Amino acid sequence: MIRYASSRSTRRLCLFGSLLLGWSGQVLAFELNEALQVHGFLSQAAALTNRNNVGGNSSDGWAFELRELGANVSWRPDPDWLLSAQGLMRWAGRTDDGDLRLDYGFVDRTLLTGDNRLGIQLGKIKNSYGLYNTTRDVAHTRPGILMPQSIYWDRIRDFMLAAPGVSLYGEHNGPLGTLNWQASVLKPEVSATEVEYVNFLMDMPGRLKGRTSWLGQAMLELDHERWRLGVSLGDMAMRYAPAGIDPLQPGTTHYRPIVLSLEHNRETWTFAAEYTEIAVKYRDHGPMFILSDNTTQAYYVQATWRFEPRWQAYARYDALYVSKGDRRGKQFEALTAAAGMPLPGHLLYAEDITVGLRHDPTPGWSLSLEAHRVRGAAGLARVDHLPGLPEKGWNLLLLQAAYRF
Amino acid sequence: MRLGRVLGIMLAVWLLSSLPARAVEVIAHPSVAIPRLNLTYAKGLFSMRQTRWPDGTRAWVFVLPDNHPVHGAFSKEVLNLYPYQLRQTWDRQVYSGTGQAPIEVASEEEMLRRVANTPGAIGYVGRVNPHDPVRIITVD
Repeated sequence: MIRYASSRSTRRLCLFGSLLLGWSGQVLAFELNEALQVHGFLSQAAALTNRNNVGGNSSDGWAFELRELGANVSWRPDPDWLLSAQGLMRWAGRTDDGDLRLDYGFVDRTLLTGDNRLGIQLGKIKNSYGLYNTTRDVAHTRPGILMPQSIYWDRIRDFMLAAPGVSLYGEHNGPLGTLNWQASVLKPEVSATEVEYVNFLMDMPGRLKGRTSWLGQAMLELDHERWRLGVSLGDMAMRYAPAGIDPLQPGTTHYRPIVLSLEHNRETWTFAAEYTEIAVKYRDHGPMFILSDNTTQAYYVQATWRFEPRWQAYARYDALYVSKGDRRGKQFEALTAAAGMPLPGHLLYAEDITVGLRHDPTPGWSLSLEAHRVRGAAGLARVDHLPGLPEKGWNLLLLQAAYRF
Repeated sequence: MRLGRVLGIMLAVWLLSSLPARAVEVIAHPSVAIPRLNLTYAKGLFSMRQTRWPDGTRAWVFVLPDNHPVHGAFSKEVLNLYPYQLRQTWDRQVYSGTGQAPIEVASEEEMLRRVANTPGAIGYVGRVNPHDPVRIITVD
């Protein structure tokens, strides 16, 4: 089912917005008493493309369906206990329509303090995956207006974003630096139709549901966090529940990623690079299912230059190959043609050169401008192009205004 | 002989005063019984991952705005971090629910007042006067 931005959600946005503006513009982050904190963020972007759609019909003129609005509350009644929850509304073309949802909500208990720390979290938790997954919806914390699609693939965003589960984490301080780690057992949430296009190439009559999965991450911080080196891995699984009449049988799909992350921080420069391989395994979908197991390979490199206090410029190269053994999708073209559903090979890759400029006029506000030159359409939502298909070569210009407190 | 002694004292005074004076003092509420923190622990407190003093009492962390010169000096000289790194650490925690933000004050005067009035508080100022009711913490 495809959902469009509704007037109902727009009304909710207006209500939320007027609530925000009703507060004093000076101090929006406040301590009701010192242990209770409220923070929030909002962003609005505009997109223009020469071909293909991002955030609405951007190939016909500026599209504005790229918006985020979130607020969180956290309470630390005791040094060892933390309760926190965040509500999020997000609009992104036809893939996200502003439904208010619980982004996270969990209780965190510190089990051990001192030079080494240990703790446990229970509830709906953001998935620690790569450098930036946990705060990818907050404009101020992501490395550009659009996330690098290689690692933070928006098409399977809700599957990878946050999930109910339990998580154990630790921090160890040694002479070299700090090692942070986290291990989680979770049940991913799958609600977007786009995940079916990724899995099955079409919108199937049944629906996908998360299955028990696990994720782990280790992040080593060296030389006063000048260097951050990470590895994330896991087995993320979902199960297809067929409808009454359905060509597919109840099978499972496993995503088994490994992500290597590197960030180097200097006074005016930050360099970041991440590389991933995701083993995708299909099980028991029946004889009508034409796809076979594959490995997705992707990476990006980014340089960010803080050339003035409040200004930064960045450049990124971002590459995504859905099938490592069929980078240009030649076999995919033959396979889908033979199955009577011909699809172009450029749906299987995306190579994106990005440059951007960001200005933070105040600590709360951030304004950004970003340009992309892209070959391939693997990063684009199929639902944004129905009933057609995205084209191979395209350019994208983005503007964004964001506020946080 | 006397001239030699006077010269010696003058030399000593000159040497002492020319030592690189730290532009920032880490301060705490007078009830805090810990005169020294190691750098790792201080970093843990100011990055909001450590929520207690080493003796177990609850810590309250006060900071100046990101663009305040004393905040810049504190980040770089005391913690050996760039201010943007501290901000990223806080943001990552605040917007993923895994931690809280420090309490931000607008000026050094407010910093002194809040730290002096909040048991368990830690903060920093450019200079502490002898009559200020705060404890100076050595970070090494």
